[in-house]
Amino acid sequence: MLQTVLDANPASETLTARDTTLAAYRFMLRARVLDDKFAALYRAGKIHGGVFLGRGQEALSAAVGISLKRTDVFAPLIRDAAGRLAFGETVLDAVRTYLGSSLGPMRGRDGNVHRGKPLEGYFPMISHLGAMISVVNGALFARRMKGISGTVGATCLGDGATSTGAFHEALNQAAVEKLPLVLVIADNQYAYSTPTSRQFICADLADKAIGYGVETHSIDGTDLAACLKTVGDAVARARASHGPQLVVAKLLRLCGHGEHDDSNYIDPKLKNSLLGRDCLKVAEEFLFHQKWTDAATLATWRSKIVSEIEEAVAQVRREPAPDPYDEKWLAISSTYLSELHDEDSGS
Amino acid sequence: MSITYLEAIREAQSHALRDDPRVFIYGQDIGAFGGAFKATKNLAKEFPGRVLDSPISEDAMVGMAVGAAIEGMRPIIEMQFADFSIVGFNQIVNQAATLFWRTNVPCPITVRLPFGGTEGGGPFHSQSIEAIYAHYPGLVVLTPATVEDAYSMLLEAVAIDDPVIFCEHKFLYYHLKAEKLPSEALPIGKARIAREGRDLTVVAYSAMVHEALEAAMELSAEGWEIEVVDLRSVKPLDTDTVMASVARTGRLLCVGEAWPWGGVTAEIIARVASEGFGLLDVPPQRLNAKDTPVPYHPNLWMAHRPTARAVAAAARKILRR
Amino acid sequence: MPQLGESIAEAAIISFLVQPGDNVKADQDLIEVETNKATMTVTSPCSGRIEKFTTQLNESYAVGAVLGQIEATKEEAARLGLDVPAPAKTSDTDRVTKPETNIRSGRVQPTVRGLPVPANVKGASYLSPRLKARMNELGLHAADLAGIAGSGAAGRVTVEDFEKFIAHLEKQRMSKASTMRVAVADAMRRSWTRPLATVGLPVRLDALLAHRKSSNPKPGPALYALRALAIALAENSAPAGRLVGSNIVHPSAIDVGFAVEAEDGVLVPVIRDADKKTLKDLTQRYNELVELARERKLPADATGGSIATVTNYGTFGLIWATPIPLPEQTLVLGMGAGRRAPHWDEAKGQFVPVTEANLTLSFDHRVLDGGGAGRLLQRIAELMLKPEKL
Repeated sequence: MLQTVLDANPASETLTARDTTLAAYRFMLRARVLDDKFAALYRAGKIHGGVFLGRGQEALSAAVGISLKRTDVFAPLIRDAAGRLAFGETVLDAVRTYLGSSLGPMRGRDGNVHRGKPLEGYFPMISHLGAMISVVNGALFARRMKGISGTVGATCLGDGATSTGAFHEALNQAAVEKLPLVLVIADNQYAYSTPTSRQFICADLADKAIGYGVETHSIDGTDLAACLKTVGDAVARARASHGPQLVVAKLLRLCGHGEHDDSNYIDPKLKNSLLGRDCLKVAEEFLFHQKWTDAATLATWRSKIVSEIEEAVAQVRREPAPDPYDEKWLAISSTYLSELHDEDSGS
Repeated sequence: MSITYLEAIREAQSHALRDDPRVFIYGQDIGAFGGAFKATKNLAKEFPGRVLDSPISEDAMVGMAVGAAIEGMRPIIEMQFADFSIVGFNQIVNQAATLFWRTNVPCPITVRLPFGGTEGGGPFHSQSIEAIYAHYPGLVVLTPATVEDAYSMLLEAVAIDDPVIFCEHKFLYYHLKAEKLPSEALPIGKARIAREGRDLTVVAYSAMVHEALEAAMELSAEGWEIEVVDLRSVKPLDTDTVMASVARTGRLLCVGEAWPWGGVTAEIIARVASEGFGLLDVPPQRLNAKDTPVPYHPNLWMAHRPTARAVAAAARKILRR
Repeated sequence: MPQLGESIAEAAIISFLVQPGDNVKADQDLIEVETNKATMTVTSPCSGRIEKFTTQLNESYAVGAVLGQIEATKEEAARLGLDVPAPAKTSDTDRVTKPETNIRSGRVQPTVRGLPVPANVKGASYLSPRLKARMNELGLHAADLAGIAGSGAAGRVTVEDFEKFIAHLEKQRMSKASTMRVAVADAMRRSWTRPLATVGLPVRLDALLAHRKSSNPKPGPALYALRALAIALAENSAPAGRLVGSNIVHPSAIDVGFAVEAEDGVLVPVIRDADKKTLKDLTQRYNELVELARERKLPADATGGSIATVTNYGTFGLIWATPIPLPEQTLVLGMGAGRRAPHWDEAKGQFVPVTEANLTLSFDHRVLDGGGAGRLLQRIAELMLKPEKL
């Protein structure tokens, strides 16, 4: 979020578009390097379970994260490494969750992208797509009941998730309750191997907003400047009590559904179209065009980020894995109500 | 002055709303209308902004409750029928029930389910699904059988920091009455000896406790003294009390209104067989509903579920061995 | 081989992107593999030099298989935590191990073979788990319940019947049975599970008594019977065999025991190879064993392993008895008290006085019939008429 940018530039009191865009770009770059590292670790057999990247969606995701305040509520989804970093997640927490460190936020009990810190307004997703939206609704609802105003709740999802009942119920609920929800759909053309032609028939996902009675915004998801402007507007409108905001960004998924998938079903025509542009490259060109930075600076940033991430990975790989014999194997907090079975009483 | 099971539930909700500003209720038709069973009658007026009508969206209702709970509220979700809670099943078992284990942040929501059969209810307004919720780790599942328990256990449910599935029996709503509300109660997790006996232990919960008590009276006239155990909570299950009763009588019959496969009755028998095998003088038995959806016609419905007559007949078979 | 997908168990190598001897960087692609979902690359876990590949092109390898080796510096290994020794997976049996993914192992048989699983609680012999637990607590056997009339279905003894029985017992005067008594009780109970029968005949003792009078030291009367039994069994050992299934197991040595009354029970010292030594040779040993038995100081090698037992119940004044063989034996030979009796002498045409005693042979009727038992007993009696040959 912008707080991070302010921390980086303590001298400036107002943030210029240059500051914000450069900051967003740095989150994108960090997310890209982190994703590449996760992919490499996966192919070296160092990660249990799946790896899911956000390659191609960094501009959109960073725009969401950076537009929110730390006091807002954010439920990121699978491809939001950039948004998470922009909202305030540390590289260490991301790495710890992927490597199953007992020191990570999920303590090895959940992994990869299922991570978050609920009490900090940063919700860990469950795998059922669309299910997090109503949870954000609930948080916003609670704040309102407690008399806290000015909170925005944001959640990201993909084109596939818009087919779920959970999505429908939650968006409808947010609309009926007029909650300050910003629902960002990354229409990346594929849900795993399913193209959007098999997911919905309406001409544009943005049209669904009409059905729910909410405001809508459409953007080219590969264009960082556009994402920052439009997402920023949507967040502002939600914060100004205009009700739920639907943001639909068109882009292309530039990786497999997971790293176990080589996505050879993606239409090459899409890869070669404007939709298939790498938002990182687009952002770089924009920054050069605006003369807000140069290639040498970017190279320096990149190499610093690479070291930072290498360091973090090395650190986490030396951390302890969870010990099943240290586990209490209790799923409820009221220990007096739990049923401990014989096989649970440890060693 | 007498108070029904339903009124006790309303009183409990009223007291919860009054005593804790974090409590609110969310469900279909519960606002001005007071709820399909009038469990929230007048509460919306008395506590404006805290008793709210939801759309027909059981998934979003529960998800919303989880989000609110993370922010420190104590939501009560009224499902219109237990049968419809299945639409919100994913949010209950995968969102609410896993939050604490995954993140160490407790999830203090209470989901109220009107459950169990009434005449003419049919397959989708009669289900007893407590076993399915109990199967998932992370949930507390309660089944009060008395007016007093309906009151005190609901209050305790709201106060607990974990997700509670509160099963209210629709048949008992208006049929069961008590003199007054209790000032103290057994805590959640403890079963109650509803009737002391000597020859056979009958373990039951919710409406079946009353069928068992009636069967006990019938058998008493024949010289048998039946001990009836009211579980009160299905999860946690008070194995100690059940075991102590079987230690006294040596015979066990478990009665449940739910279906046989993997039901609460199966769980009790599994525990007694594995932890108290040497207490049994005869093989343990169970009596459940027939393994079909709940029928609509009263003739079929009355044969589908265990009744006092059926409990007595099952008991006699055991007592004669 | 990394886990390149949720249910992937193996992958095939389709090309090597580097050669042994090449220097590689961390995350560099090393090997191209193919799963049934996609083509992927395996990357290097660290920087170093490829030492060798231990796998081959176009072969499939399971997830977890070692594909090759990289030589790395100590610092590199430490930095990445690669120098931590692998946890001992299989040797430490307490630790959690990876679940077996190979489900090709043997299938579970769907039936319970051989064991009769009682379908319902019927019958006087059914002992419920609760009853068994109570009996166990009190150290009782099914034999102890013989006196209880069961009130349960088909006469089974219910736990209430049992508790009434125990309560009733507790009102009687009780004294603790000695360890010896309990042991003997158990042996007799086990012996009695066989169908036992007894045959008997009288034997003239005059020659034996005369022989004994003139001997020094004096052999015990039972020793004469013991030697006669031993000789008879040496001639035909089948009667002392044991029936195991459908085989008669013949004794390997004619070791014969004899009963000695000790405090509150009976001990059975054993004469080894009783067929190979004469009465004269055995007399001293026999007398020693009797003393040791009375004092309960029998050495271990002097008990156990006998194939038949002799008991002189005549010492109690009994003329007839049906002793019970030891549970591991088929035969017990008993001798009653000798007494004067009139015997018809056909030649003299009058009754003449003789000294005679009864010999009884109790046997496991599964091994021997009356005929075989009778023949054995006749031979023993015959041998006892010529004591000087024993």
